Amino acid sequence: MSLLSDVLVILLNGLQQGAIYVLLAVGLSIILGTLKFVNFAHGALYLVGTYAGLFVALNVPLSNGKLAEWGFSSFGLDIGFFAALIFVPLFVFGVGLLMERYLARAFYDRPDTDQILVTFGLAIVVQELFRVLFGSNSLPFEQPERILSFGSFAGLPVSGPIALPIVGSFPQWRLWVIGITAVLVALVYLLVEYTDFGLVVRAGTRDAEMVRLLGIKITRPYIVVFGIGAALAGVAGVVGGPLNVVNPTIGTNILVPAFLTVVIGGVGSIAGAVVGGIVFGLTTAALVSFAPAWSQVGLYAIAALVLLTRPQGLLGDEVVAP
Amino acid sequence: MSEKDANPSAKDALVGGSLFGRWEKLRGREGTVVGITAVLVAVFPYLFARAPVVSGFLQGYQSLATLILIWGIFAIGFDLLLGYTGLLSFGHAAFWGGAAYAAGIVAKNVSGDPIVMVVSGTLFAVLLAWVLGFLSLRRGGIYFSILTLAFAQMFYYMAASPLAFLTNGENGLTGVEVGSFLGVIHLEADIPSVGGMLLGTWLYAFVGAFFVGAVAVAYRILNSPYGMVFRAIRENEQRAEFVGLNVWRYKLMAFIISGAFAGIAGSLFTIHGAYVPLQSLFWTESGDIVVMTVLGGAGSMFGPVLGVGLYLYIENIVSTIQALTIPFTDIVLIRDFGFYWHLLLGLVFVVVVWVVPDGLWGILTRLRELAVDLGSKAANRVRSRSGNGGDGR
Repeated sequence: MSLLSDVLVILLNGLQQGAIYVLLAVGLSIILGTLKFVNFAHGALYLVGTYAGLFVALNVPLSNGKLAEWGFSSFGLDIGFFAALIFVPLFVFGVGLLMERYLARAFYDRPDTDQILVTFGLAIVVQELFRVLFGSNSLPFEQPERILSFGSFAGLPVSGPIALPIVGSFPQWRLWVIGITAVLVALVYLLVEYTDFGLVVRAGTRDAEMVRLLGIKITRPYIVVFGIGAALAGVAGVVGGPLNVVNPTIGTNILVPAFLTVVIGGVGSIAGAVVGGIVFGLTTAALVSFAPAWSQVGLYAIAALVLLTRPQGLLGDEVVAP
Repeated sequence: MSEKDANPSAKDALVGGSLFGRWEKLRGREGTVVGITAVLVAVFPYLFARAPVVSGFLQGYQSLATLILIWGIFAIGFDLLLGYTGLLSFGHAAFWGGAAYAAGIVAKNVSGDPIVMVVSGTLFAVLLAWVLGFLSLRRGGIYFSILTLAFAQMFYYMAASPLAFLTNGENGLTGVEVGSFLGVIHLEADIPSVGGMLLGTWLYAFVGAFFVGAVAVAYRILNSPYGMVFRAIRENEQRAEFVGLNVWRYKLMAFIISGAFAGIAGSLFTIHGAYVPLQSLFWTESGDIVVMTVLGGAGSMFGPVLGVGLYLYIENIVSTIQALTIPFTDIVLIRDFGFYWHLLLGLVFVVVVWVVPDGLWGILTRLRELAVDLGSKAANRVRSRSGNGGDGR
């Protein structure tokens, strides 16, 4: 093991850690930047994504919670991980649409604190609903062996170690997480920057009233933006599920780092969310290998430091709210 | 809590307005508020845990009564910040848990005297609030909430591992030995005679004294010109600035005062349980105090205390209910009702934020106003019929 390979391992681990944050942060950031809506229930969407991913990809035995009591001994469709990657984002997209229509829209004109409070309440409700249904113990979310295996086609292997130059063997799934994140974030970036839809969204971010005056119905892009943000959280839940434990508290636990990622990157900036996520991921990975006791503290210390020295975030160009 | 007594007075107005008018004058006075609080604090544990019929219905117990007052102090302080100054902090667990740890560590290493514990815990919380307030208040709105959240989480993870030699890490601070008050009174012991029947333990009396003190201090602050500035900042920060007020200083002071209240409550929590769980620093604890305060009614003096009572009651009593039945029958509506307590609380919270942002206290206030309104109208009718001419409200 050379120093170079150690550094590279930390880099890769950091990118993988950061990838989950990035997926959550991009969603949060476009919702916060475009709709000016503070969504403390974003962690709950991650939670929904994880359990939905578990449901689609595997078939997990249930021993705890109301579902088990009602006679469901196992839970899941067991149709593979790739299917989960397709269906779960669609499902969570729908959840996002419902949430925008029936919850967020009522709160656009109310103060930030009310938005925080109501979404925080919603996060509690969702978490407790999952606790009631599935119990508070952790469910096993095994890493997929292969994806895309249909009939005679064996599919692509995604788990187990892979030999990389210099680094040596490295868990393959982590590379997939990085790859999936990169593709999705690039897609969202292209959508926002280079399509007519994105143009309306960006214009709405600058001055929603003016856009409305120009005769563009802004509510439809808004609801779609919310849905996309939610779908990204769903994807984060699916790809992050096998890397972490799965229990009802993961939503509230991931919310704080995700929010900090947005804020240190710069609200409303996709590039900022990516940078913020990578900074967080690398910091955590580096501290885990050099000073494990401080690994979590470091994350919050960096966040506080950035916020105090560059309140608009690393890549934010202006302060959105006073 | 004076509102409850106001309703019968409103009925008195039907007979003669003078008694009601006299009460209206009295109810705003500091002495009245503190006096009524003291009386309610004195009879609360009896009604809650020992009174024949009422306590059987409520199923309360002494230790929960103490806990409600402790969280009540926390909530009153939190409301100074959220309800009156308009700042939503998601980091108050740092002051609550920090003070709890400070008090516990002092008890283990220096002195277990309850007064020493409260003073050291509160001092720690004040210093911490000063520093964190200084840093967090540089940003407003959601950034303030997120900054406080970030700092508080930092302390949680510090206590979890780098400072584990002090805090005992994940296991929480065990083996805290609380000494006797003034060297003679063991707080866990029951108070003899009538006092014991009313108050129960010395610990309750000790906490109760702090609670009444907290109410008095908060009431004094809020009804002073200083407190009016807090409200001015909540209403319109920019305008307050234009008037020439040093908004920054008042905001910092509100933050520190509320941190001090959280510190007193946190220290009392350690005395109460002789144990500090690591959880007391986690951000969900900050979330709990937010939920309690908003549920009860942010921006009112006693609303948050009502919220605390409701929250802890649901958490500790309702959660033990096996099956929800229709009263006086055996027909089961929901089995395992207690199992759903947190879900239920979350739903109630969402509804309250959505529909009645001023909380349960707001509902009570509106009911009271309605009663007074009806009362005075009726009184006017009586008066005008007897030829006096009504010039009531």
